[in-house]
Amino acid sequence: MSFPTSHKTVFVMDHTLTASSGVKLEMDSFSKCRSGSSSNGGAGPVHLQPMNLIPLRPVTKSLWTCAVEAITEYCRIVWDIFPGSRLIRFVAVDKTAHKLSSWNPEDQNLTSLMNAFMMLGPARAIGPGKLDLFKGLRTAIEILMEPSAVQHEKRTSLTESATKVLNKGRIILVTKIDTEEEVKTLKDKFHDTLLYLNKVAAATDNLMAINHCDLVLLNLWPDGPLCPMPWRSWPDVSTIMSCEFTNLQGGVSLAPKLCNLVLKHYDLASTTVTGIPMKEEQNASSSANYDVELFHPAAAHAAILKGIPTETAHLKTYREGADYETVTLKWCTPRSNANVELQHCSSAYRITSVDVNSRPSSCLTNFLLNGRWVMLEMPRKSGSKVISHMLACHGGDIYIHTMYTSRSILEDPPSISEGCGGRVTDYRIPDFGEFLKANKLAPYPASALSSDDNAVSTPLVKSREQLSRHTKYWPITLSATSLFTLGPQVEPLTTLMVKSTLTDDEVVECKQVILCLMSMEARGDPLPSPMAGRGGKGMKREDQYRAVWAELEQYLQVHLHTAAHEKVLKCFMDCHNKASTPEYKGDEKVDIDQALKELDDYNFMTEREKQEFNMGGMKHVPSDLPLPESKRRRSAPPPLTPMGRSSGVSLLTLWENKVSSEQSRRCLEFQGRLRAEGNVTKLYINLQKDKDKDDGGPRKKN
Amino acid sequence: MQHCRLEFVSLIVFSSTYKVLMPFTRDFEAIKNALSLADECDRTNLEVGLVGAAQHILEEWGNGTPCQIVLVTDGNAGTGQHHLQKTLMASHSRGGSQFPLPFPFPAKLSIICIANPDEPCLQTSRPIYQRLVELNGEGDIMIPEGKLTRKSVTEMFEQLVKNNFSSYSGVLHCGNLSAPITLSPPPQPYCRHHDFEAVRVSVDPAIHVLGFLNTGDVSSPPAFSRHLVLPLSAKGDLVMLPKSEPGSDDEGGGGGSDEGKIPSFCVLLHGGLKRENMVALCQVGEKWYGILYSWADNKKKSNLMLSLFVPGFDVIPWMGKLSNLGPANLLPVNPYGPSDSSSPFPLKVQEKKSYALNSVVWVRQGGLQSDIQKILRHARKLPDKTQSFYKELNRVRRAALSYGFGELLEGLASVLERECTLLPSSAHPEAAIQLQHAYEALRNHDKKDARQNIMPLKTTYSGND
Repeated sequence: MSFPTSHKTVFVMDHTLTASSGVKLEMDSFSKCRSGSSSNGGAGPVHLQPMNLIPLRPVTKSLWTCAVEAITEYCRIVWDIFPGSRLIRFVAVDKTAHKLSSWNPEDQNLTSLMNAFMMLGPARAIGPGKLDLFKGLRTAIEILMEPSAVQHEKRTSLTESATKVLNKGRIILVTKIDTEEEVKTLKDKFHDTLLYLNKVAAATDNLMAINHCDLVLLNLWPDGPLCPMPWRSWPDVSTIMSCEFTNLQGGVSLAPKLCNLVLKHYDLASTTVTGIPMKEEQNASSSANYDVELFHPAAAHAAILKGIPTETAHLKTYREGADYETVTLKWCTPRSNANVELQHCSSAYRITSVDVNSRPSSCLTNFLLNGRWVMLEMPRKSGSKVISHMLACHGGDIYIHTMYTSRSILEDPPSISEGCGGRVTDYRIPDFGEFLKANKLAPYPASALSSDDNAVSTPLVKSREQLSRHTKYWPITLSATSLFTLGPQVEPLTTLMVKSTLTDDEVVECKQVILCLMSMEARGDPLPSPMAGRGGKGMKREDQYRAVWAELEQYLQVHLHTAAHEKVLKCFMDCHNKASTPEYKGDEKVDIDQALKELDDYNFMTEREKQEFNMGGMKHVPSDLPLPESKRRRSAPPPLTPMGRSSGVSLLTLWENKVSSEQSRRCLEFQGRLRAEGNVTKLYINLQKDKDKDDGGPRKKN
Repeated sequence: MQHCRLEFVSLIVFSSTYKVLMPFTRDFEAIKNALSLADECDRTNLEVGLVGAAQHILEEWGNGTPCQIVLVTDGNAGTGQHHLQKTLMASHSRGGSQFPLPFPFPAKLSIICIANPDEPCLQTSRPIYQRLVELNGEGDIMIPEGKLTRKSVTEMFEQLVKNNFSSYSGVLHCGNLSAPITLSPPPQPYCRHHDFEAVRVSVDPAIHVLGFLNTGDVSSPPAFSRHLVLPLSAKGDLVMLPKSEPGSDDEGGGGGSDEGKIPSFCVLLHGGLKRENMVALCQVGEKWYGILYSWADNKKKSNLMLSLFVPGFDVIPWMGKLSNLGPANLLPVNPYGPSDSSSPFPLKVQEKKSYALNSVVWVRQGGLQSDIQKILRHARKLPDKTQSFYKELNRVRRAALSYGFGELLEGLASVLERECTLLPSSAHPEAAIQLQHAYEALRNHDKKDARQNIMPLKTTYSGND
């Protein structure tokens, strides 16, 4: 199917088909007695002619009208099923050739087609011999030589396949041909012109020579006696051309004939959904069953028809008046939750309904457009039934999904709990759920995209980077972590640190978490977590805190994405009297005074944020603390009033200690630099040290 | 078979007829036992054997399951091989007949000849085998290296296993989290012609999770193939623990269940996806994607499943180009909304399809009639239905002009004119005015721009509505 012939089709239409097609519409039938109109709802012939009225003249379609209607229907089916990938253009020909459209996607829809025909106007009678059909065919060949957008893209791509882009197409001439002689002349002359124009095209840059062209001579014959010339085909006129002569008769047989043609050209197949229950228009309480016929790519039937022929023969029937087969599948009352489950489908193809405006068809399509999914059941020869297909609408297009109907090789699979890791019971599944939600994918708007497929920065690549950032430190079980057993205690920090950038506010929020933990430890509060991990319940409180601090340090060390992240680590280091590693140069350095100042600023920023801070504080205050204490805190202007009476050490004191230790640390650091070889200080010295210490996992027993 | 423990195997013997000695099973002991039941029969008829295999597979698995057919023979294509040869060479005579090749399902045909390589029979049969493999498209012929001995035959079968039955072994990555995994069944390379390119791609040993989607949002996408994702132990072994029994010596930790107690990222991923009812989009090869999700065969046993899409970026229309999917939280406005209540999926199509457009189709008898009846239904309810009346009128008018069907406009004008004369005395005066306006406008269609719709006439009455 590489470079299918159906990619490009050109219709060449004889614009002089003024002759009557013989299709009549009785206008009189529409005027009937008003009183009787409701009981005789259809266009039935049984009605009373109003008295004293001059009969109206019936209206007759010209052959041209039949041709345009038929081609519009052909295009409707194609564009519904293959939007964008199957292109159709039109040339009308009378004394000269009129090009009606282009290969551009904006021309490939019914609305612009109808407008083009409207502008062209009805068929024109011109003198005998003045019709230049051949000019139309020549124009069509030239049109086929123009590359479509996808051909152009592939041809100019700098890959090795660029030279292999084939240009195939189909030209459909719609006219009325009376003799076999005419057919032969057209065919031969077309072939010569094709050869000649191919040479011309080969010498240009912008045109593509035609590798194969299928010429379809569509003989539009008036209603009445059948065309004396039968269907004929010349599959190998030459290596670059095939030809076919087909009759399309106006009147009642037009529609099925046309379907036959479009099915053949686009390898489509027909499915009839049977047993669709619909309420009667007249009587809402009763319902009757209807059938609706659909078209879709034939491949949707492959799964059920490619098997053993005798098993599926009963599915295929011929519809009345049609000379193609349809597969009849039964409607299943849809389950309401089908669309939130994952159904196993092997393929999905767009569909269109055959008689699009009929009541049963529009009933079914509207049902689907409203989001309901419909399962289709295939009766088996043995009498059993199996769900073989599913109709579902996605974003406005209706698809037929093919389901697996035979035995699955995946039957009776081992449960996930029977494999590696299956007996572990403390996976951090709720946390992982949050991680999944934080890494949801969404389509990026065109404005945010670069045009190159292979660009390094596609949104998908960004997502992969984000996943990597979010998993820099992610213990998968509770027993492997102390930090993440604290739950909401470390919440803003753990969700913020994984971000690629941090705002100043967020830095402060992270620091809050550290400081709160500090104060909790200082108060001697027990950690709120059950501490299932890291040695379990028996662990001493100070050991628990030590484990948390060690893990937190490790966590912060791997999340140094920006200078802002750095600040959080710095805060941690300062709190723990540790030498922070100077990743960012002096001016980026934040000392504890500045951190304190920031904290002050933060507290005086807005009332709301202040409240938030206090709420955060409250959250961390054990519930047994007297309420007035926290109330007092809320209203206290100096943010760092002593708290946690139980321990007797105020936060302020704590920090003052840090500040003094900061001074000594600075001196030490200077010495460290002196000791460095070649006056180069090793960066991340602490990280390395910690790593060595923690070798074999973050489980460090202090 | 330790490589593919979930593989199904069947044993068929053939001579002038074929017999299924053992239907498809995972019980390899049963296959071994069945082998001892194989009797010697009358004559070799390859075609019968192949038909038997095709039939048995179609009945069991349908036409979508990739299969391996291993044809074990003595290197003699048997009696009637001239006939077979003729059938094989004349491609046209095979058309539509019973001949089973190429198999109607994805299949690899390995022909194993237990024969001395210099056997004269083998020399004459070999082109036939070659042709069979060619017809099927995929497969190979194997002959023992050197003399026919137990050792050389064993080696040949070992080679067969190595070539065709090696299991997949890879690593599932999600950022910095990872787990060694195997896929069952092993993923097959994808070699197909798409509309505008030939695609050849295999599944990489590294599978990368790229992000997550709601199960409802992916809307049952079509899958090229499906695979169980089974975590491997650190040593690279597939571990199958005995079924868990509540209250068993879990704490004791017997030697066999150690592997079960070493945490695996796969189990975490499965649990998370199941809990949140989400799927993980992952990349398995160059421009090749799939989804991982929790799947349950029955209520009790759920496991991690990988559905591979057809390779390419534009394979699931309602998800858009896959490479355009990115972290939702980095978009200026998160399309999932603050409480996860909305969704950016499915992507809406730009152009409505004919079934959603109320398009005009008159190729069938009823189409035009019902369109005109609709106009008249509204005409009889003027002035209440003025807007609907003109809407339907213009729809038919535009179509008639496009279809070059001017005569219809004249006919329609006459019908409306008659409606006007038939108006009962009780009718609203506006009805007659609008009808007259409409039929006059229809008759003047060629004097005005065809694209201009007929507008309702502004009347003194219309202001009162």
